[in-house]
Amino acid sequence: MKFIILKENLNQGLNFINRIAGKNLTLPILNNILISAEKNFLNLSATDLELGIKYWALIKTEKEGKITIPAKTLSAFINLLPDDKINIELKNQTLNIDCQDYQTKIKGLSAEEFPIIPKIENDNFIELNCRVFCEGLSGVVDFAVLNQNRPELSGIYFNFRKDALCLVTTDSFRLAEKLLFFKEKTNQEFSFILPQKSVREIINILSGKEGSLKFYFSQNQVMFEYLMTETAHPQIQIVSRVIDGEYPDYQGIIPKKYEAQIILPKEKLLNHIKTASIFSGKTNEVKIRLNPQKEGIEIFSQNPELGENQSFLQGQVKYSSAPKEMEVSFNHRFLIDGLLNIKEPEVIFELNNEDGPAALRPKTDSSYVYIVMPIKSV
Amino acid sequence: MDKNELWQALLAQIQFNISKANFATWFRNTGIISKEDGSVMVSVPNNFSKEWLENKYNKLIFKILRSLDDGVREIKYNVTHTETKPREIPSSPPLNDVYNNSAQMDFAELKVDKETNLNPRYTFNNFIVGPFNELPQAAALAIVRTPGLIYNPLFVYGGVGLGKTHLIQAIGNEIAKKFPEKKIKYLSSEKLTSGIVSSIQNHSIDKLKLLYKDLDVLIVDDIQFIAGKEKTQEEFFHIFNGLYEKNKQIILSSDRPPKAIASLQERLKSRFEGGMIADISLPELETRIAILKIKSQEKKLNFPDEIIEYVAQNIQRNVRELEGALNRLSAYQTLNNRVPDIETTKTLLKNVIFSPKKTTNPDNVIKTVACFYDLKENDILNTSRRKEIVKPRQIAMFILREELKSSFPFIGRKFGGKDHTTAIHAHNKIAKELEKDENLAEEINLIKEQIYSI
Repeated sequence: MKFIILKENLNQGLNFINRIAGKNLTLPILNNILISAEKNFLNLSATDLELGIKYWALIKTEKEGKITIPAKTLSAFINLLPDDKINIELKNQTLNIDCQDYQTKIKGLSAEEFPIIPKIENDNFIELNCRVFCEGLSGVVDFAVLNQNRPELSGIYFNFRKDALCLVTTDSFRLAEKLLFFKEKTNQEFSFILPQKSVREIINILSGKEGSLKFYFSQNQVMFEYLMTETAHPQIQIVSRVIDGEYPDYQGIIPKKYEAQIILPKEKLLNHIKTASIFSGKTNEVKIRLNPQKEGIEIFSQNPELGENQSFLQGQVKYSSAPKEMEVSFNHRFLIDGLLNIKEPEVIFELNNEDGPAALRPKTDSSYVYIVMPIKSV
Repeated sequence: MDKNELWQALLAQIQFNISKANFATWFRNTGIISKEDGSVMVSVPNNFSKEWLENKYNKLIFKILRSLDDGVREIKYNVTHTETKPREIPSSPPLNDVYNNSAQMDFAELKVDKETNLNPRYTFNNFIVGPFNELPQAAALAIVRTPGLIYNPLFVYGGVGLGKTHLIQAIGNEIAKKFPEKKIKYLSSEKLTSGIVSSIQNHSIDKLKLLYKDLDVLIVDDIQFIAGKEKTQEEFFHIFNGLYEKNKQIILSSDRPPKAIASLQERLKSRFEGGMIADISLPELETRIAILKIKSQEKKLNFPDEIIEYVAQNIQRNVRELEGALNRLSAYQTLNNRVPDIETTKTLLKNVIFSPKKTTNPDNVIKTVACFYDLKENDILNTSRRKEIVKPRQIAMFILREELKSSFPFIGRKFGGKDHTTAIHAHNKIAKELEKDENLAEEINLIKEQIYSI
């Protein structure tokens, strides 16, 4: 194996894939990445046996070949090299790296032992807008939770409908749903649950990229493919297993109506809740009060040892029936988490009494909703 | 050699040929699914294992299998999901402190089993038995042993908050545990109605029927709400018959006996009565004390006996209220960090105990009676002498006299200017009938409950 590559390209690829290499004690070769020089392209692969990532970069190949190299060592080293061409040659399982004044040798392991990243034998794909997709995912990804009893809740639920892709997560205290509408209707309707870790990698690697993303689906796994901008060859492929299980019927959780609806400025609301959180004590409890005499909400928190805080935030209030007083307690962290995922200046806050689910939505964007359960008031 | 032994023999041999790490990684959770005509189907847990076995170890596996069984001609690999369900569920996973310490509520919907609609919280273990509910509980246990064969249908009725839903869900959960292959469905009658309505809308009534056809156990809660819904009753009648003929268990609950459900078709009434009717009456003092003790243990609270006795003595008609009172006391305890004494308990529970119980008015009584018998208020108040109206009218008069201590002339005036002797007659008649007719007593109790529950 012998090739010439730009440092920038190699470094970018290593940054994408080296996060999933490593930390495997039973099979040490998983701490390595597979480097393989093909015709005109260099291919880097890494896997943790749940997720596999492949990256391609254009190179000048003089001789094809493959080797596996410890991911940490290689990426730490390449990162420090000057921005220039790098000459790489394989001699007796050792990688000789030659760049300006550096001459380096890194020992590798045979590529024969490296796991094969499964392929999807299905040519059907769906095109997604990469930027919109990643933004949608990052709005829901945080609310899945690792739960041994309910593996199906530990992932992100993807529901492809004819007109939209619906992304859902819940940790049973709160739930986030995001709809991504397609420009053209599709005929495929299917759903699966993707591990949270895979989704985090997808966001890490693909966010900020423009253009479209190809999505392939088979029974046990899915693949996301991003093409090179220069030529029609894949640049990144992310293959992940899907979680076995059926997602609960979450539709019943999203409240169809509200007792009171308040439209509030987001940044101010966030500030008020953060202020209240200082006094909320161990339980994280913050009370939201509605008084029919006032157009807005009162935010109240109290800590017997520390003191208390009360504030008023003006907003437009609408009641579904006769106006009445209401006091609902929330974990402030849950409210803040939801607000941080809303990018608009104004939010709709919907309350359903002290024991019903509350909802946060952006004011003009109906595709996102965040549901949170209150704390039982004493 | 059967297929399990064959695979074990292969594993035993192959471990000498490859490294320990490889063996542990690639052969974990593998097995043979089927062996037919020399073609062996090997199950692997994921696609990585599949690729690896197919591409790297296929030759080796084939050689060893061949040497163990010379009928083997071909090996295929298939990804199957290993059964993860039967793992014993430990009590709630240690999440963050935040979740455990506070009373953060969660989505109740997620706990409900999607297939059966049952809530696993309801079991026989936390169902407290006393003389007041011995019969339904015994019937329930008998059903769990042989569903569909002894008491079919089981009809459980009783007042609000006495544990009907708990009992019938517990039956469902227990059957699900004992006979995992049985298909169980729990429905509220509202769900039943809305299902039927939407299937009529979509012209998919056949589909709905198919849904119920294969059930082994059907549980419908609060069946009294199908009263007056003709089409629902008709469809439910067919579903009921279909299941009943195949000896499938049907369990129903209601707040009153089938006879007392007004505007329920006769054929349904008689079918509901055809199995076992069991009523849950009010728990007596000892049971209430037992309930309070068990509940406070569950919540890890420790109240002195005199407080528990006080609560049990003063809250008599509703188990849910007992729990509410307990919650109040526990809230006091967490806020003030000390156990409430008897005086504080009295003030804390003032609202629960003495509250709106005895406040009602004649109009409310008349309204509730009319509602109970599915009549209009005016029907009762005017002078019609139709039998189905006369009796409710007399009952209303009786209750006015008994509960509100209204004078007979006042009662007469209330019912369209009748003579006070009419009211006296009505009162005496109902009082007499009450001595003989237990059903009537039951009905009047239910009406009273409704009057005070509003």
